[in-house]
Amino acid sequence: MPLALLAGLILAVGAYTMARQDAFLTQYNINNLLLATMPLALVALGQTSAMLVGGFDVSVAALVTMCVVTASFTLKPDETTLALFLGSLAILGVGLATGIFNATLIRVLRLPSIIATLGTLSILEGAALLLRDHPEGPINSDVIDALNTSVGFMPVAFIGVIVLVVLADLCLYRTRTGMAVRAVGLDETSARRLGMSTGRIVFFAFVVCSLMASIAGFYEAAQVQIGSPIIGDYALTSIAAAVLGGASLAGGRGSFIGTLLAALFLSEIDNVLPLFQQPTEYAQMTIGVLILLALVLYQAPQLIARWRSGRQTVGRLQAADGEAPVASTTR
Amino acid sequence: MSSPGPERPVVLSLRDISKAFGAVQALRDVSVDCREGEIHALVGENASGKSTLLGIASGFLAPDKGVVEIGGRQRRRGSPAEARRFGLGIAYQTYSHVLDLSVGENLYLAVPASERPTHGRMDRWAASTLEEFRLDVPVQAPVGSLSLAQRQLLEVVKSLLAKPKVLLLDEPTTALGPEAIAQLHALVLERSRSGVGIVYVSHRLPEVLEIADRISVLRDGVKQGTFDATGMTEEALVAHMIGRPLQLAFPERGAAGRAPEVLLDVSGLRGDRFGPVDLKVEKGEILGLAGAEGNGQVQFLRALAGVERPAGKASCDGAEINTRSPTGALRAGIVLLSGDRTTESLFPVLSVRANTTIQVLRSVGRLGFLHRRRERRTVDDMASRLRIRMASIEQPVQSLSGGNQQKVSLTRPFLRGDVKVILADEPTQGVDVGARFDIYEALRAKANEGVALIVKSSDPLELAGLCDRVVVMSRGMIVDEIPGDELGERRIVEAIVGAGPTRAGT
Repeated sequence: MPLALLAGLILAVGAYTMARQDAFLTQYNINNLLLATMPLALVALGQTSAMLVGGFDVSVAALVTMCVVTASFTLKPDETTLALFLGSLAILGVGLATGIFNATLIRVLRLPSIIATLGTLSILEGAALLLRDHPEGPINSDVIDALNTSVGFMPVAFIGVIVLVVLADLCLYRTRTGMAVRAVGLDETSARRLGMSTGRIVFFAFVVCSLMASIAGFYEAAQVQIGSPIIGDYALTSIAAAVLGGASLAGGRGSFIGTLLAALFLSEIDNVLPLFQQPTEYAQMTIGVLILLALVLYQAPQLIARWRSGRQTVGRLQAADGEAPVASTTR
Repeated sequence: MSSPGPERPVVLSLRDISKAFGAVQALRDVSVDCREGEIHALVGENASGKSTLLGIASGFLAPDKGVVEIGGRQRRRGSPAEARRFGLGIAYQTYSHVLDLSVGENLYLAVPASERPTHGRMDRWAASTLEEFRLDVPVQAPVGSLSLAQRQLLEVVKSLLAKPKVLLLDEPTTALGPEAIAQLHALVLERSRSGVGIVYVSHRLPEVLEIADRISVLRDGVKQGTFDATGMTEEALVAHMIGRPLQLAFPERGAAGRAPEVLLDVSGLRGDRFGPVDLKVEKGEILGLAGAEGNGQVQFLRALAGVERPAGKASCDGAEINTRSPTGALRAGIVLLSGDRTTESLFPVLSVRANTTIQVLRSVGRLGFLHRRRERRTVDDMASRLRIRMASIEQPVQSLSGGNQQKVSLTRPFLRGDVKVILADEPTQGVDVGARFDIYEALRAKANEGVALIVKSSDPLELAGLCDRVVVMSRGMIVDEIPGDELGERRIVEAIVGAGPTRAGT
């Protein structure tokens, strides 16, 4: 359900804007929109993997910043290709190290993921400010061009992400590995009793989350083009995108395709409002309202079911079969 | 039932296993072995250590001391995954289902890699597996939508998927009716004939005597012996299960000859895991609620207190109880003393004073502010009446011993003048012997004031000593009622272990 709803929303907002603003459906704007979606999409996909096993990773916000700052040192203009390659590895290395650090705190030291990653968030934020106390250090323009390579309006990287999410969802819902990941998120005790290595799965999920955030760092760097220590807050937005895409805060449920659509939708709102000369504050508020609406909608079936069974077991005012549940909410 | 000769190899060996949870020694130097093709039953009262022993055998729990060997191989790491590799299958009493996944997916997760079909054929494979075990459940339905009996049978099917050499069944029949039990037993016997060693844990002695080759008895974490099932009787087993030297003191029962007056009247009450239950409790009566763990006793009490929503009727003192919320039940004068006192009834970090008066703040206040002196007097009075041992009434409740914590939660019904019914769930769990008498006395004092009490306890001795009457629950229904003149520990235990499918099947 989230998928259809999100796709519908994206198209509806697009169509509405297209009819009123010529500037929206241009190759330039759509290309921009998709490129601007990249960092959020990648972070949110990583977040989805952490949430699938029943955790959160709020350190992604600072990790993206840290990777951009790292890029301003390792992806300087006028570097050789080899140096740039090694520089890219360094950024991925930051992601990998952070992921292993987080996963160790959560699995080995048994800290709640939200607190553990909050600590990491603070450490990385401080470290980023230590390296760059103000935006400084341009990013190599060849690298930026390579990241932004597009065919027509479609960035090549975005195609890659589409392929990635389709494969990831296939894996999640069509293989035993994916099933095991969901099982760990849904019921860790049962999963362990069934002989799954729950520890390894959770560890892996958090490492993937950080790696995705470090890849997001590349695309963020391509957007800001300079070593900025102050980057937008991806922690909560990425959780919001995952939830909008159908992920459950309790773990075990989620869809990578849904997360990508949600990220695209959130970016679209950001993209569209300036066209209408509306301040970005409205974008923030709109996103908030939409997240709440989506959550209520996703939960509606359970709420209705619970409400119905509650009424039945109480045993008064037995509803006739097929009676609309909304007709009698009065107590 | 062919008794396998001693020459048969041992497939599961547990040697000198000890395990403690905090201060509670759950197992002490327990050794049990199971041979190929043998059905080895493990019996004991609630909390005697049966489930802990199985948890250790399956690798889910790590023993503090002792050796586990499966199929002749000594376990090293002790994880469920390793135990499965060595050829151990287990059906957990609390199941290993992922309720949100479908039946097919749950089976798929449980089957070892070598037997696993491709994902595309999962549902067809699952359907044929279920058919092979003659289990009629929809493959695509989430396990959470199955009945408890279906979940229980599915758990057994899952434990057999890996074709284990040794199979552990932990209370596999608690949710099953007579037919399903017969079906399960046929399956178990068939596996044992094909050489699988089976450890069968159950508190239902008739079942155990019917199916087992050997029986080991646990009591308070210590093995009382291993016996051949042939020639063993229920009576003898019960004697091994309870034989307890420590005699407890109980307060005098209520004055006889008081006119019986029904206070709590429950009819056709049913809900999650219990019902329909019909029950009347009189003014001044202490009714005991007995039964093996997990047969709906707790759910029944919680439903009466409005914590879980039941269907059916219950009235107190002639007025129908609104069981839709705890507030409704409280208004009717029903107080639940939760078995999980630290998370459900007490505020562990708050003081004894605050915990005592929290429900009756109005009575110790003036113009909306607390009247400290009056509050202190009330608390001091309660503390001396219930003999709460503490350094000061400002001491946080979590720093008290279990018994004194329980006494603090007991102060509440004493302070409320409008209490008519007290539902006590395991009032002496984790309470030392000395403090128990104080609690019994407090409960009896309330009864003498005309309050009706239902006391749920897993300790038959306690029920026999404290209560005026005891009812026994099995599979959610009352299957036996023991009047005051027949009360005795033995009679209660026999009622619990004898609660076979015939009496429960209505």
